[in-house]
Amino acid sequence: MDILAPSIVAGLQIGMVLALVALGLTIIFGVMDIVNFAHGEFLMIGMYTGLLTAHVTGMDPLLTLPCAALVGFLLGILCYFGFIRYLIRGPMVAQLLGTFGLMLFLRNLALLIFGSEDRAIHEGILVGKSFDLGMGIILPATKLAGALLSVVSFLIVWLFINRTKLGRALTATALNAQGARYMGIPTEKMNAIAWGIGGGTVTVAGALLVNFWSVNPYVGLLFTMIAFAIVALGGFGSVTGAFFAGLAVGIITEIPGIWDFFTYTFNLEWMANVPMTSFKYTWVYLAYFVIMVVRPRGLFGWKH
Amino acid sequence: MEALKSAFDFSDFPRVDLLIAAGFSAFLLLFPLLPHSSFAMATMIQFLMFSVYGMGWNTIGGYGGQVDLGKAQYVGIGAFTTAVFLIRWDIPFWVSMPIGVCFAVTWSFIIGYPLFRLKGHYFAIATIATSLVLKDIFEVWDFVGAARGLEISPVKYHPPDFLRLIFKQDLYYYYVILGLFFLGILYVNWFRKSQLGYQLRCIKDNEHVAQSLGINVHWAKIKTYAIATAFVSVVGSFHACYIKNIEPEDTMSLDISILIALMAMLGGAGSLWGPIIGAAVLIPMKNYLKAWLGAQAGLAGIDLVIYAAIIMLISAVEPKGIWGIVEKVRQKKREK
Repeated sequence: MDILAPSIVAGLQIGMVLALVALGLTIIFGVMDIVNFAHGEFLMIGMYTGLLTAHVTGMDPLLTLPCAALVGFLLGILCYFGFIRYLIRGPMVAQLLGTFGLMLFLRNLALLIFGSEDRAIHEGILVGKSFDLGMGIILPATKLAGALLSVVSFLIVWLFINRTKLGRALTATALNAQGARYMGIPTEKMNAIAWGIGGGTVTVAGALLVNFWSVNPYVGLLFTMIAFAIVALGGFGSVTGAFFAGLAVGIITEIPGIWDFFTYTFNLEWMANVPMTSFKYTWVYLAYFVIMVVRPRGLFGWKH
Repeated sequence: MEALKSAFDFSDFPRVDLLIAAGFSAFLLLFPLLPHSSFAMATMIQFLMFSVYGMGWNTIGGYGGQVDLGKAQYVGIGAFTTAVFLIRWDIPFWVSMPIGVCFAVTWSFIIGYPLFRLKGHYFAIATIATSLVLKDIFEVWDFVGAARGLEISPVKYHPPDFLRLIFKQDLYYYYVILGLFFLGILYVNWFRKSQLGYQLRCIKDNEHVAQSLGINVHWAKIKTYAIATAFVSVVGSFHACYIKNIEPEDTMSLDISILIALMAMLGGAGSLWGPIIGAAVLIPMKNYLKAWLGAQAGLAGIDLVIYAAIIMLISAVEPKGIWGIVEKVRQKKREK
């Protein structure tokens, strides 16, 4: 139990943050049917925003969220009006490669500006403190705060989409863009808002993540792939699905810990010899593949 | 015999195209005789390699319209098969290359069967996922050198070794890959006029119509995927002998997969010349940008920023690629 419980708690904790990472991707996909490869790069920008704002203003890193949200929102809108609007006229292959180009662009721009070294946050109110929850679970305060604030942010976006008029218009556009246009919904504006919210949520996730995850310009791709897996599991376009799928994928990333638990419990030698930690994210990719093949709609999906 | 005739039959192209193609072929054949730097030679070899990759991708991605972003896994399979066979058992290239193709094609059937139940975006991302899984496995698999990769040391052999494809000068490599390049063109020229080629174009336009015409859509896609895989795997084997030092990180990374697809799209997917034009533009541009700008202190990454900006510009402005522009101009001329 001393290994299993911490692994599951760690999985759920990172899963809450990952759910917020994937939220933007699923909204953008739902509204516009476009896969955004640059999503992880938005996260990276959010991480740098959090880090630098804290560094320059001397604020606690956790207080930089509004700044990150604003940067992400503007970035999303800028990307939409400057680039994506032209991209969606083309065939699918051009869309995929175009967003891949955006990803390369942002990544190397970050490399040019910030350099390639790892950076992390070393000071703040919560840094170095941790909670002992018993059963071997020791949770650093930064991670706990990151997880809780992720859930709060997620809830705010969920309420926005399900309880406001603008959110309903967004859902209508996602369900049937042409029908929404006939009903007088400005779909062009809705697309831009989807990109704004997508960018804003993911940069907030980045600003939370940077409290316990060091950042470099190459960090994005891993999170893009994880976000794809979450979106696939939860269902493309489904907001509720993204949350539960995020938790599930969080636990999948902790499979090495769970594997260790079984190794010691049953005392199996062959299990101890498997280099499990090298496969930490392989399971996520594999899960994506299996979900897509077995149930392409995902758990809560409505797009097919 | 019939197939051979069809492969050499280029008569459905306009005469201008054929003249340009002949001129370009002559240039490729004579290139080593012209004065050139070793950097230019390396760029040319890379251009030829990526054209063949692109031709392979073009069969499934261009004619078939299935956007495959996981071709790097087959580069890896081909490269590692050749390297492992040569280092461990001293089996020459010309034997290990077909074996590598067999491995790659078998793997393509195994993952192709479930993969082709997916469509569009879902298919594209799933191919990335399989490629990354295979890369992760290769990175911990000690038999193939794990993350350190494998190194073919040329000291053990006596170059020029035509059986094992170990040479000191790039010149030999150039002619080997040039031969593969011409073979590739002939094959694709046959392929586009074969039954499978027509079936694929029908699938690309409308899958339901294809089905109602009695085409086994799933099987046609899997077969073409295997053909594309074979192309990529052959050049992957060549890559192992040419580079001599292969790691999972540079042979199987996502960047390679994307570059292959990009090549075909930039030139014009679904046309015979598209991938070649794409590679001819993209590879020299990438290499020379890197050589001019990448080395400057404090500007790390600026070459890739420019490169990415060009990708973005092309995909937003002219998604049908360079060949698309040519055809548009011709269409206008015909209308006049």
